[in-house]
Amino acid sequence: MPRYIVERTFPKRARLIGAGAADTHLAIVDRNADEGVTWIHSYVSDDRKKTFCVYDAPSPEAIRKTAARNELPVDRITQVRLLDPYFYT
Amino acid sequence: MPTATTTTFDRSTDLLERSHHLAALRQSLAAVRSTSRGRLLLVGGEAGVGKTALIRQFCDEQRRSVRILWGACDALFTPAPLGPLLDIAEPGGELEALVESGAKPHEVAAMLVRELRTRPTVFVLEDVHWADEATLDVLKLLGRRAETVPALIVASYRDDELDRAHPLRIVIGELAANAAIGRLKIAPLSPVGVAALAEPHGIDADDLFRKTAGNPFFVTEVLAAGEAEIPPTVQDAVLARAARLTRAARSLLEAVAVVSPKGEVWLLETIAADAIEHLDECVGSGVLIADAEGVRFRHELARLAVEGSVALNRRVALHRKALAALADPPTGEPDLARLAHHAEAAGDTDAVLRFAPAAAARAASLGAHRESAAQYARALRFGDRLSAAERANLLERRSRECYLTDQYDDGIAALEQALECRRALGDRVGEAEVHRRLSEFLWCPGRTAEAERAARDAVTLLERLPPGRELVRAYHNLGRLCGAAARSEEAIAWGGRALELAEQLEDAEGAAHALTFVSSVQGDYEQLEQSLERARRGGLAEQVGHISILLAAAAVESRRHPRASRYLEAGIVHCSEQGLELFRLYLHAHRARSELDQGRWSDAADSAASVLRVPRTSTTPRILSLVVLALVRARRGDPQVWPLLDEAWKLAEPTGELPRLAPVAAARAEAAWLEGRHGTIADATGATLDLALRRSASWRIGELACWRRRAGIREEIAAGAAEPYARQLAGEWARAAEEWSGLGCPYEAALALADSEDDDALRRALRELQRLGAAPAAALVARRLRQRGARGLPRGPRPATRKNPANLTARELEVLALIARGLRNAEIAERLFLAEKTVDHHVSAILRKLGVRTRGQASIEAARLGVVAQDR
Repeated sequence: MPRYIVERTFPKRARLIGAGAADTHLAIVDRNADEGVTWIHSYVSDDRKKTFCVYDAPSPEAIRKTAARNELPVDRITQVRLLDPYFYT
Repeated sequence: MPTATTTTFDRSTDLLERSHHLAALRQSLAAVRSTSRGRLLLVGGEAGVGKTALIRQFCDEQRRSVRILWGACDALFTPAPLGPLLDIAEPGGELEALVESGAKPHEVAAMLVRELRTRPTVFVLEDVHWADEATLDVLKLLGRRAETVPALIVASYRDDELDRAHPLRIVIGELAANAAIGRLKIAPLSPVGVAALAEPHGIDADDLFRKTAGNPFFVTEVLAAGEAEIPPTVQDAVLARAARLTRAARSLLEAVAVVSPKGEVWLLETIAADAIEHLDECVGSGVLIADAEGVRFRHELARLAVEGSVALNRRVALHRKALAALADPPTGEPDLARLAHHAEAAGDTDAVLRFAPAAAARAASLGAHRESAAQYARALRFGDRLSAAERANLLERRSRECYLTDQYDDGIAALEQALECRRALGDRVGEAEVHRRLSEFLWCPGRTAEAERAARDAVTLLERLPPGRELVRAYHNLGRLCGAAARSEEAIAWGGRALELAEQLEDAEGAAHALTFVSSVQGDYEQLEQSLERARRGGLAEQVGHISILLAAAAVESRRHPRASRYLEAGIVHCSEQGLELFRLYLHAHRARSELDQGRWSDAADSAASVLRVPRTSTTPRILSLVVLALVRARRGDPQVWPLLDEAWKLAEPTGELPRLAPVAAARAEAAWLEGRHGTIADATGATLDLALRRSASWRIGELACWRRRAGIREEIAAGAAEPYARQLAGEWARAAEEWSGLGCPYEAALALADSEDDDALRRALRELQRLGAAPAAALVARRLRQRGARGLPRGPRPATRKNPANLTARELEVLALIARGLRNAEIAERLFLAEKTVDHHVSAILRKLGVRTRGQASIEAARLGVVAQDR
């Protein structure tokens, strides 16, 4: 399945960390499963307004669909491949 | 009959670690009963994982309160069409009569819907990965209407055996969008579960888990075999268990394995008379199970293992006996599909040639075209000594079934052989007919030059003979090929000749078809609508589908979307009911384009994806859908645009036909423009624009010329562009934008504004593009505005609005807020001054829209969506 990085900008601090986040996360994971989308993990900027999220998904449309369902913004979707710096050492 | 101990043994093992699956089944049934809206539950899992045992357990516990209907699909290479539905039909009842009378799947589905409406039912269809095409059609139609009947429809299947092109996968994909579909995945047993089973037998639990991977069927076979050493494969385990039976019982078991899928007692009495008294021993051991119709293996895996162990000469002898017995059953009609199967396995040429074509004809009449094609192929494998005429006949019939099931290569090969037979016979008319059909075949996968040659061969041959209806069809066919290539004048000329000759010959049907065709080339909606109405009244299902496509395609091309959607919706319903799958794909592809043009990009992507999921060879729907999906991605700035456009071009280019080339060329130009690669646009569009000019295709000319203009190509303004494009090319961007808005095309309207030199218009374009989620085009416009010194531009699209979550209406939001406070329906009704029944309706609509099953889950969703806070 293709892998994607999804960039998101939040108008306010993202509510993705801290108390109560676990339930939100599980609900997101559940809804993603309907479209065959797997959230691998995310990187969050220090001000928590920008996230870079790594996903496995069947298509960009599936990512947008789950984003709408989870009410998450999408700035840009980029298809990526893993590059491992230690692979050839 | 099964002994008590065996039953207990099987129950307790099969249903270990299944309590939450059972709970899910119960919950689904409770929801169906409380709302009277049905559901289709797809139960998937590997072979032997315990799907049937689970469903049987569930049905046993519900049997007192609901009706249970149970149909099973058989593991035959060519299953009997609609066989599983005969299982559930009452003997002598309406359904049986309907199926045996050769009714079409949509008629059978309609009767089932009527029947299911009468009372709450659990309707089980077992092993649908083996279902024949007609049964799958029924399942599909039933799934679409599940919500209208108080029934829980449970379909089980092996999810590890569906390759990409498996017909069931396509059905599941199509049903996936439906809200009334649920899925249940059954996993193998855990190491803990296996250990619990192994313990009383003193078997090494780790070893048992490692060898069986937790497969419940394998585990029970091993335990039942009771060997000290665990057999390495499931076959070995089955045979070890069978080895504990007496010799005579084993021989009976072999007979049952050969006469799959079921062993009627009368049949076994005939073919294994000396061993029949050991039936109880086989059943008592748990290897076979008995039901009203006879005996069958507890599991197909066990049957396969035993069948594989039967010596070849004994197997052939058993097939021969079964063939003789089944040809003359004590009651009812002989089962042709089963006879053909045994005839081939027995190597009996006469019987194959007698039963396979008959089984094929019956399958075709029931809409099971895949099975039909396979039965004709079976007959042809034994057809060496047939006469040339007989062979040609079978080959032509087979090709027709291949055509209907998208097996073009096989169909073309069959026709080429038929051509030789007709030539050898000196049958010129027959030869010409094969040429004509060959041309239809070749056109679909895009081999247009060969198709035209074949079409001309047919005309040439027939013109040398006295004129007949075949020549009418040959003219029409050649005209159709020209029409498909947008060569209107030639198309009308050939169509006219067909019409003229048909009238001369008083061939009413040929004349009607030719007239429809000529009107479609001339864009005469009125005439076409009349033809559509005539075809509908005359019950000409294929013709209705065909004309719907012509009308829809013309309306979509000229951006008359309300008109287009009328043709599309009616046409799609018609084609799905009649099982006209290829036609349905055409309509879906045109619908995708219409949705894209109306700015409904998510819908467009869904429609396009539904076409692309079907691995058809016919290229037109695929090309159109690839283009739509690529454009949705390109306009949103999403990845994976070019692989789609490259595939589309690869399919379209060799056809040389404008309707396939133009959408791809325009899309490639647009995608390049959005990426700022203007330099490639001239090459991407030049040849296609020339072709469009030669064909006077005004919408194609306009679209291509506009992209060239945007890419900065200075050339004489193309004459004959359709109106909104002509305005754009003339620099009248405001008028163009107005016209696009009038046609309901928001993206084109915004792009027209974006061509302007006016700041206000540019800002309007920017806002509209942001609203559509058209990030790359919005960025281009924003850059232009900034270059012109604009400040304070709105930034990017906002995240999804919270005003109307999940598309709930204002009233539904009110109701939801009260549900979240724990109010009951009666209380809500009182508070909102509504009838309680009305509140019931609102609540089920809310649950459906939120995609939840209970009020508790709805409350959680309400909190998440902020509905509660709004109300306080």
